Amino acid sequence: MANKNAIEVKNLVKTYGDVYALNNVNLNIAEGEYFVLLGPSGGGKTTLLRSIGGFIRPDSGNVSIKGNNVDNLPPDKRPTSMVFQGFALFPHMSVSQNIGYGLKLKSIAKEIIISKVNKMMDLVGLTGLSNRMPHELSGGQQQRVQLARALILENDVLLLDEPLSALDAQLRKDMCIELKRLQKTVGITFVHVTHNQEEAMSVADRIAIIADGEMIEEGTPQEIYSNPKNKFTAEFIGENNIFTGLITELNKNSITVDIIEDQINILNKNYNVKKNQKVSLSVKSESIEIGINKKVTDKVNKLQGKVTEITFLGQFVRYLILLKNGQEIQVRTSHESKNIKLNDNVSLSWDLEDFLLHEK
Amino acid sequence: MFISKNNILFKVPVIFMIIFFVLPLSLTVVWSVFERTMFWMEPGFTLFSYENFFFSARLENFVVSMLHSSVSVFCSFLIGFPIAIFIRRRVKKIAQHRVMLLFILPFMVSEIIRIFALRPILSRNGVLNDLLINFGFIDSPISAFVFTPTGVVIGEIVSFLPFMIFSTFLALEAIPNYIFEVCSDLGVNRRKMFADIYLPLAAPGLFAGSVFIFVNGIGIALIPTILGGPGSVNAGLIATQAIIALDFPLAMAVSAIMMCTLMGLLYIGHRLFNLTKLLEPIS
Repeated sequence: MANKNAIEVKNLVKTYGDVYALNNVNLNIAEGEYFVLLGPSGGGKTTLLRSIGGFIRPDSGNVSIKGNNVDNLPPDKRPTSMVFQGFALFPHMSVSQNIGYGLKLKSIAKEIIISKVNKMMDLVGLTGLSNRMPHELSGGQQQRVQLARALILENDVLLLDEPLSALDAQLRKDMCIELKRLQKTVGITFVHVTHNQEEAMSVADRIAIIADGEMIEEGTPQEIYSNPKNKFTAEFIGENNIFTGLITELNKNSITVDIIEDQINILNKNYNVKKNQKVSLSVKSESIEIGINKKVTDKVNKLQGKVTEITFLGQFVRYLILLKNGQEIQVRTSHESKNIKLNDNVSLSWDLEDFLLHEK
Repeated sequence: MFISKNNILFKVPVIFMIIFFVLPLSLTVVWSVFERTMFWMEPGFTLFSYENFFFSARLENFVVSMLHSSVSVFCSFLIGFPIAIFIRRRVKKIAQHRVMLLFILPFMVSEIIRIFALRPILSRNGVLNDLLINFGFIDSPISAFVFTPTGVVIGEIVSFLPFMIFSTFLALEAIPNYIFEVCSDLGVNRRKMFADIYLPLAAPGLFAGSVFIFVNGIGIALIPTILGGPGSVNAGLIATQAIIALDFPLAMAVSAIMMCTLMGLLYIGHRLFNLTKLLEPIS
């Protein structure tokens, strides 16, 4: 039977003392997919990646790559290559020596190594730098050398452990585009760990959110962004405002949630909830419309608040609004509008479907 | 120059080096050509001291002591470098410097006592021979452990091994852990690891440790005096004996020759291995 999963992770557990770095994680990564493990620092995503690469031995659970169990194999016997976070180049070897070292270890003929190294250098955009030493390269170039050193071994899976975290913002954006292009070109599975959601969104085919040692949610960048199932995801991804409250009314079409002092009406998208259940709601800061307060309208879906902060962000303006229940929420608009000033009373409105409900 | 002229702080080391290093060493060379008098020396120019050195057993002793010193350097490398690698790779990070401290402990005892304490260990009826006989490695005691060149080499290794361990450990400590992870990802075996990774990356430390041990090996008179036989003489001992005989120009000449030899060796080493490149910082 053809196995379409490049990597299967089953019930993986890893503890450090009392702390669960990985708590029963299950994950399938398809062949040829650009998969991103996204999550806050210390959430276990690097531990997961290192368990896949063989650098960490999990306490229990299995890792299979291309249908073969690799639990007992050391890193070099697994069909994976790793790109490390820091500039992990051999400092005493030139660019071409660094890239070719893995092949040299396999006693491959020198001419073949040279031609492969040259091809690889063209692929990752290092043409003409073969004799440079690592300390003569920029941060971006050093990571390209790491990529080339990993890709030249022609393994099935490339693991990238926060590969862009040491680069500045502009370079990171450029490298994201290149990584994506590179992955399309070579066609192998990339597993990329990052805590930067912009980076994750721009490269990923699919994203898994990892936090507190658990796989919170997975999906395409679009799914994760516009329809997060989980409260944690909603908090972590994008700029969401979270409300918690009790369900006071519930019917087939709509749910009303009491958030103290105010009520929010949302669309019932077949949520599995009961009356009086405590739930969380989330709404994107860009989905809320802001207007100068004239009169309290009868619509339920309107909140009143006072502007406490206005931040100009170039493309956007962000308002911090203090609600009646003391909660502060963020509103983002693409235009600095309507003469809204600090301490103005404003009304906020939204479309019914903009609010999402999270049970957890 | 980026150092501002009036910044006295930067000049202090320079002044210190001139007064306590350059000046005395230059005087050594100058004094080595002075005329010997009964109790001191007087200005003049004579190569008598050099003649005295080069056309006597002193030259042979000097060369032999360099050979012995080289053996000590090599043995210290063979023993010390693996210890440094072991500490870097196998000892927990938090304990590494504590282990290093263990190697410093012997230095809390005066060197003369440490060296002298080796005698009952190495002598014919000593602990080492007893052990070897009891474990059946040898039938009759080996007398070559002490009062021979072997004794001197053993003494030098015991005294100077920590320096090889310190300097190579410091060099190895500077290697980021990523490098070792890359190696396990690429599947670098032990032999390749040693030749391709540890050796080149620890080269500055190896160089520093080797120079230190070599220089002390030929220069410290204590070890051949206590552990060497009657004929065991190194450069330091030649100079010491000359001072005792009140032949100051000869002592100065021996020192000058020692300096020139070391500079010559450094130059040869530089031509062979390109020390500038060897000592480049890694990063």
